[in-house]
Order: sequence, then C-alpha cells, then structure tokens
Amino acid sequence: MEKVTMYTLSTCPWCRKTKKFFSDHNIPFEFTDYDLADEVTQSKINDEMDAAGADGFPFVMIGDKIIVGYQPDVYARLLGLDK
Amino acid sequence: MTIHVESRKQALRYFYAKIVEPMGYKFSPDNELVEFILEQEVNSEGKYGIPFCPCQPIRHNRGHDMKIVCPCIPFHRKHFDAMRRCWCGLFVQQDVTDPDSLPQLSAKEMGIE
Repeated sequence: MEKVTMYTLSTCPWCRKTKKFFSDHNIPFEFTDYDLADEVTQSKINDEMDAAGADGFPFVMIGDKIIVGYQPDVYARLLGLDK
Repeated sequence: MTIHVESRKQALRYFYAKIVEPMGYKFSPDNELVEFILEQEVNSEGKYGIPFCPCQPIRHNRGHDMKIVCPCIPFHRKHFDAMRRCWCGLFVQQDVTDPDSLPQLSAKEMGIE
C-alpha cells in the first residue's frame, strides 16, 4: 500500500471529506493542518505547494503522486480501491 | 469584540450575493456546506478582521492574501469559470443544480496559468 500524506486546513470542508474518505476505507494516513502548524512547517508546505502549482487545500500525496483538491475517484484509482 | 455568528453569517450572505450575482454566480444549493463555510469566515473575521477563504492558505503576505478574501472569484476568474465553482464551493455558477458533480481541480491541472 502506498504511503498517504496530506496537507489540510482545519477550516476546510473538503479537507474533512478527504480525511473521512481515507478513514472510511481504513487507509492509514498522516496529515498536517497548515493553519495549526508552526511557521517553519508552513513555509515548507508553501514551497511544496508552489512547486506543484497547487492553489489550495486539500493537498494529498499518495506515494509520489500529488492530488490537489478533493478527488475521491483519483484516490480510489491510485490505491486500487476501484477494482 | 464579540461577533454574533448567526447575524454575521446573514450579513455576509447579503453582501456576497450583491457581489457574485453580477459575475454569474450564486450560493451553492448545498446549504449545509454554505452554512459551514460562512461560519469559518465569521471566525476568520474574528481572528484576522477579514473573511478569508477557509480552503486556501493564509501566507501573511498581503499580495497573496488579498486574493483569497471572500468572494475571491475576480482573482481566479478563469480557473473558477472552468470549474463552474469557486475553490471552496461556496459559490457555483447560476445554472448549477448539482454542485457535487463539479470538479475541484487546480488551475495547473485544468491547463490554466
């Protein structure tokens, strides 16, 4: 199973839906809420998002794939849940 | 200063409608989503004095942050027009009846720079 990591906002409903998707499918994941993170962590996240051309949250990494926005069909495909 | 959340949400609804309707947008038909986002924006006003989008990062850089003040449609017009919704989904284009059918894709993924 690919490692799942995500950057989210505690205020963002789509970030909550994203976390719920992985929880509902029993997929372990790590997340960092940008708005609750320290300045150093925020700066690192900004750099990663800029490099990926990301405009907003959620910012999900499944293995080496980056998915910006709430895209449950893509999460399922990358994790083989759609088979 | 204490903000009365429900009355402030109603005020934001009133002001936002005046701004987004001439641009061809309306509030999402998903009222639960709208109520949640407006509450986040009222909280943002209480914390920062500004109703920032709750789904985009506040970078404490004025040039960036002014582009995520709700309603931020004018600053992302091509991107949002292509998605037919704003990033957080508070607003959708006026003919949208099924907001869940709309994609949430980055400008880069949509081929918009």
